[in-house]
Amino acid sequence: MNQLIQIVINGLLQDGIVFAIVALGFSLVFRVTGVINLAQGAFCVLGALLMHTFQVKLGLPIPVALPIAAIVTAAVGLALGAGCFVPALGKLPNSSVLMLTTGLLTLIEGAILIGWGSEPYQLPPYSGFAPVQILGIRVSTQGFWILGTVVVIIVGLWYLLARTSVGMALRACAENRLAAQLMGIDVRRMTLLSFALAALIGGVGGIVVAPITSLQFDAGHFFTNFGFIAVAIGGIGSFVGSVVGGFVIGISKQLAAGYVSSLFANALALGLLLVVLIWRPHGFFASGPARRQDVRDEQRVYRAIVHLRGRGGLAFGLALLALALALPWFLPPGGLLSSLVITGILYISVLGLDVLMGHAGQVSLGQAAFMAIGGYTAAILATHYGLPPLVGIAAGIVLSLIAALVLSLVTMRLRGHYLALATLAFGLLVDSLAVGMMDTTGGPSGLIGIPSFSIGSFAFSTSTSMYYLVLAVVVVLVLALMGAMNSGFGRALKAVRTDQTAAAALGVNVPRYKLMAAAISSVLASLSGSLYAFYFHFLSPEMVSTPRSFEMIAMLVVGGEGTLIGPLFGVALLTLLPTIFQPFKEYLTLAVGAMLVASFLWLPEGLFGTAAIWTARLARRLRRQRKAAS
Amino acid sequence: MTAAAALQVTGLARAFGGLKAIDNVTFTVPDGSLTAVIGPNGAGKTTVFNLVTNLFRPDAGEILFYGTSLIGRSPEEIASLGLIRTFQTARVFPGMTVLENALAGAHLKVHSGLFQQMLWLPSARREERLLTAEADQLLDLVGLSGFRNAAGTDLPMGGQKLLEVVRALMAHPRLLLLDEPAAGLNDTETEDLAELLSAVRAAGITVIVVEHNMSLVMSISDQVVVLDAGAIAASGSPAEIQKDARVIAAYVGHGTVAV
Repeated sequence: MNQLIQIVINGLLQDGIVFAIVALGFSLVFRVTGVINLAQGAFCVLGALLMHTFQVKLGLPIPVALPIAAIVTAAVGLALGAGCFVPALGKLPNSSVLMLTTGLLTLIEGAILIGWGSEPYQLPPYSGFAPVQILGIRVSTQGFWILGTVVVIIVGLWYLLARTSVGMALRACAENRLAAQLMGIDVRRMTLLSFALAALIGGVGGIVVAPITSLQFDAGHFFTNFGFIAVAIGGIGSFVGSVVGGFVIGISKQLAAGYVSSLFANALALGLLLVVLIWRPHGFFASGPARRQDVRDEQRVYRAIVHLRGRGGLAFGLALLALALALPWFLPPGGLLSSLVITGILYISVLGLDVLMGHAGQVSLGQAAFMAIGGYTAAILATHYGLPPLVGIAAGIVLSLIAALVLSLVTMRLRGHYLALATLAFGLLVDSLAVGMMDTTGGPSGLIGIPSFSIGSFAFSTSTSMYYLVLAVVVVLVLALMGAMNSGFGRALKAVRTDQTAAAALGVNVPRYKLMAAAISSVLASLSGSLYAFYFHFLSPEMVSTPRSFEMIAMLVVGGEGTLIGPLFGVALLTLLPTIFQPFKEYLTLAVGAMLVASFLWLPEGLFGTAAIWTARLARRLRRQRKAAS
Repeated sequence: MTAAAALQVTGLARAFGGLKAIDNVTFTVPDGSLTAVIGPNGAGKTTVFNLVTNLFRPDAGEILFYGTSLIGRSPEEIASLGLIRTFQTARVFPGMTVLENALAGAHLKVHSGLFQQMLWLPSARREERLLTAEADQLLDLVGLSGFRNAAGTDLPMGGQKLLEVVRALMAHPRLLLLDEPAAGLNDTETEDLAELLSAVRAAGITVIVVEHNMSLVMSISDQVVVLDAGAIAASGSPAEIQKDARVIAAYVGHGTVAV
């Protein structure tokens, strides 16, 4: 009994309260904007590391260091809000803003990596290390500080929202932004206020829990993921729900670790979430404005149409192909060629994402999970059972299809952020299974000794042979997808993306098309994952985990969504840059985040899309001039 | 009884909360006819459309489409039976060209499957070419062919409404429901629309149109159904309706009827 209580208290203090604080930040911003800010978790880490600098490095006393660290965090939040989040809200659909916040998360993590390095940090507790004994249960004194902070935050939030005029304005924005604006409320300022306030709450939360846990640059992902799960269990937008959800997920995680296995703790917590989502698709304390975000059907979707067809498109395609065929002769074998192979392999997966997100408009935060399924299935069958790689690839594809089907059926009822969340949870579930199933996957240290890809007796063991294999696969896939996307199938997907009601009125079976897009996407990711494992001869969980999913979203958006060819440039840019400029590696995380955010804000059609539009404009002008001349 | 009517609505009712939006509405649309539904704002015209296409479920009543009940069928099933509608606020698909928007209407006419399209099979390409030719012809008829490669949402409101009608026609409907197609159209565009509608009638397509433009209604329709406060106020030929006191009351006001 004592052990149970001990675990529950640890779960509450170690995880539950931070998750609750992150979830509160989510709900606050969601209430005012209708968007979840996934960068929330990074503010916790930023606050804690700033506190480390002020308290440990500069030796300031806690009562001085804490407010400074909190205010600096809020100021960073204010800057990011004013520079990125608020402008994005004005011109992007909510689902794109959600994607943009994944970029903000990566951006802050990249900045932390540069500023503080990748080592973990821990702060000294405020009142000594000795825990107090209450009825035989040990509680660290920091626990009381954490508990007190949460109470202060909740009471403060309640007072602000329920008792002040600013709170009333915030609530008005939540109910109806347009009406609030017409009533003279500065919606932009209120949005900014909620964003900075959420950053402040996150920062304070991170600061007070840092003494009982250790934090490094990428802990923001962890907080964001579990905070998101907490808020989904509680009900997005509900403050009570956020706190309860945070506690539930924190405690169940510790219970799973205590009674089953710490390796499966995350998997069990995520399983719990999926059960909750199926049982109560809107959480337990659903509140706040109900808005749909599952498709990009808002009027704000206003992007130019990118078409490179006719003779120009053909010439461009042939030139690109000729360049790709000739490249290995100009490159020294080694780093760069190897990066090109990886570019091709990742491009296959991002192509799938382009069908699912770019064409069908379905948000997916779990693309890497299908890479993991394909990669591990093929690798395990080849390594442990000596089966031919083609059989492994096929088995991976079948498994991925089954997983995609089950996930789609489970999420068919889900809407908006809950759908995005389900894909994230699925990704995290696969992550933790890859880590937890030590015997088959090799656990965190990875699976070694994977053979090269081979067909019959021919092994693709050199980078050059692999390069041409991947190139052939890519050409076939791009041609096939172009055929489908420029015909009835692609039109139906695009119709579903923007207006499901109108699509259904024309006879489009909306669930069926969503399912097919998900199926295509998972097959391509699975194939990509298998090739990835065969090429590296090694596969570890972090090569195909959730940060990889986020990275692929950045590649897609930077290259140009819905263009099929565009993502190639996004993948190439983010894969080749660190190879070409070695010193750039340290800045890669920052650059990935910054490019994703910048693309959304200033190049919504991506590099390729923008180039295509300019080319078309130039061609038109030339034609007009020629006509005028003759 | 001869051939089944295109649409037979009997005792249709739907309440939103305590408000009876539609109450005991009964009307018949003969095959091949053009029926106009008119009535003041809030009379329930669009609600009738939404009930017929099952965007909302009716509380009571029966809807027969060529003798087949539509109750409980999904919107895409209803579309596949040959009943296609447009929306009051034009719902052109953003991110698609004018031509693509028109082609999207032919969704049920695309017979090549995903794999045939992926393999660029000649049959799939031919189908695309034929549909494109048909779409171009219709776009030409409404004067939109010059904008075929522009974004559909870049068209002015009138153009978007015409595009939506073209999109619906691409589905080769047996019955076409048009929700205020002339709203937002200027005079030339209204003429284009009238021309299009007579072409539609010549093709033997049955049409129901909700419309406020009285001269358009009176010039093109065979039958007029007047809705007022969720109930049928009158129905008959355009000439009869123009004389009907209840119609004048519904439009001009109850207290001011001086005959």
